[in-house]
Amino acid sequence: MARPPAPGSVIVPDWHESAEGKEYLACILRKNCRRVFGLLERPVLPPPVAIDTASYKIFVSGKSGVGKTALVAKLAGLEVPVAHHETTGIQTTVVFWPAKLQASDRVVMFRFEFWDCGESALKKFDHMLPTCKEKTDAFLFLFSFTDRASFEDLPGQLARVAGEAPGIVRMVIGSKFDQYMQTDVPERDLTAFRQAWKLPLLRVKSVPGRRLADGRTLDGRAGLADIAHVLNGLAEQLWYQDQVAAGLLPNTSENTPADPYSQPSGDPRQRAAPMS
Amino acid sequence: MGEEGTKGTVHLLCLAASSGVPLFCRSSRGGAPARQQLPFSVIGSLNGVHMFGQNLEVQLSSARTEDTTVVWKSFHDSITLIVLSSEEGTSELRLERLLQMVFGAMVLLVGLEELTNIRNVERLKKELRASYRLIDSFLGDSELIGDLTQCVDCVVPPEGTLLQEALSGFAEAAATAFGSLVVSGRVVAATESWWRLGTPEAVLLPWLVGSLPPQAARDYPVYLPHGSPTVPHRLLTLTLLPGLELCLLCGPRPPLSQLDPQLLDRWWQPVLDPLRACVPLGPRALPAGFPLHMDILGLLLLHLELKRCLFTVEPSADQEPSPEHRRRLLRAFYTLVTASHFPPEPGSPEEKVEDAAQRSQVPRACYLVSGPEGPGTGWRLVALQSGPRRLLLLSAQSPTHALRGLATHTLHALTPLL
Repeated sequence: MARPPAPGSVIVPDWHESAEGKEYLACILRKNCRRVFGLLERPVLPPPVAIDTASYKIFVSGKSGVGKTALVAKLAGLEVPVAHHETTGIQTTVVFWPAKLQASDRVVMFRFEFWDCGESALKKFDHMLPTCKEKTDAFLFLFSFTDRASFEDLPGQLARVAGEAPGIVRMVIGSKFDQYMQTDVPERDLTAFRQAWKLPLLRVKSVPGRRLADGRTLDGRAGLADIAHVLNGLAEQLWYQDQVAAGLLPNTSENTPADPYSQPSGDPRQRAAPMS
Repeated sequence: MGEEGTKGTVHLLCLAASSGVPLFCRSSRGGAPARQQLPFSVIGSLNGVHMFGQNLEVQLSSARTEDTTVVWKSFHDSITLIVLSSEEGTSELRLERLLQMVFGAMVLLVGLEELTNIRNVERLKKELRASYRLIDSFLGDSELIGDLTQCVDCVVPPEGTLLQEALSGFAEAAATAFGSLVVSGRVVAATESWWRLGTPEAVLLPWLVGSLPPQAARDYPVYLPHGSPTVPHRLLTLTLLPGLELCLLCGPRPPLSQLDPQLLDRWWQPVLDPLRACVPLGPRALPAGFPLHMDILGLLLLHLELKRCLFTVEPSADQEPSPEHRRRLLRAFYTLVTASHFPPEPGSPEEKVEDAAQRSQVPRACYLVSGPEGPGTGWRLVALQSGPRRLLLLSAQSPTHALRGLATHTLHALTPLL
């Protein structure tokens, strides 16, 4: 696998907080709530700013109960289930995220399709794991700061799930980081893991998001600010991987990646489709 | 009959029949899920009295106290379900059908094998948690009525033929015969084979889809309580538009990943406008602008042979009573006419089968005035049976002598729809 790009080298990190970024974010919000899109729909921008969409499939993996479904719900701006129960079968969630590329100053609409599957369904039904892994662009490995076993299970997960696809983006996310008083995973273990695996490692909190004035509806903008680092991190890894795959970047290079669209050939993997 | 603001409680208990171990308890209060639980001693006694009867070869099926109705039912000598309801206007018929739906939901999600051959109670308990959401939706105030009528809740889309064609084509492309479009738990369109699904899965599948939290797509293992209780099938759902889901029932193929956005766009973008028109249809059931008499506040139309129904309390939504109250009135009236006036519905073995002599004298229509006494007050309810169709209307002002005319006229207008 290509060495992961340095954080902030591909995607402008805090662009979503700039005035321009906020304008783009408006198309994934409605009345300050996150907009839910059907599979036939895409975010609509006014015609002069029509941008390309890059779609990716991401398989979320991790021990039962670490919060895979809760993480995906958080990324999509949906209500996080209160009581835990095992996810039945596979469920997918689509998240749109506009981000600005460092190299070309162009904005790209990322379309992430998260694939989440309950642990016992994976064991019980043979077809589930291959379906989840098929043509996936990234693996997101989850562990929980409150569950030591889920952290220790990571090397096993990495081998079992992503072992046959070594060239594909792998990211590790620690959930329930806000419950640091009960943390079972001390910092030194994280450092050791990072050194051993050289994988990007992010942390997310599991506290419920801020609500709007009515006290019930989730505040879409506040929710996006909470998870922007995860979406930007994913966008960065995936965009970088595409360019390496397209031969636009040497595999080992640590240079600032070029924008594949500056090349006349475009993206040979034909990920990006022009919007409407 | 139900008044505004009644706060009845429903408790549902599920026990392993042989050991008496409680598998789960679910409750609702005033139509919303509640955490309140019955003391263990009460659960034990309720199960004990049922078991006591069984040992003497006496089947205890129901009991009534001053304010509560209790119904027991055993399934395959392995699972005992007990329901207690203090909701006003509740009846044995409603509770018996509720228990059938609950058991159906349990089979749907964990399979009959796990329920009849309990090897590990703790594991079964854990697996059954997947069915809580669906079961809770039966206990609370639902906008649907299929749990009671055992008919599939449907809506009539404005351009049904176009959607039907797209659906058949798509199902064929996905190599399955079973496909449907579901908007908030109600079927908009379905393939021939989907309509031939047996009871209870025909009712349970759309209900399940309507009760799950929103997801772009799912690959959901289901056991069909009637058609395939031990071998799981795959229910694939694809959210075309928020609230509108395309459902496919299939075997090992196709993988979910094959139903990608490109394939969906090819089949469904051309009918995007008719699809959009379906999204707000859920509670309305009828196409916008369908002419209904202004006195009608709610209606339930059943086709007893097709096992489909249309149920809405949207007309004149600005008037009293509230939608919840209207639904309660129509549900209670349906229970009354089904339990005591109209002949039993075909294919419902649990109800008494009347002999031919009685059958010749069955009523074709009945009405009821509910609420405060006095001229010009109270809600009017009328039911009419004609061939396979049965229509129930809720009206506010109509004088009682005009009810039958109103019902006949409305049934005539609705006949082409169902």
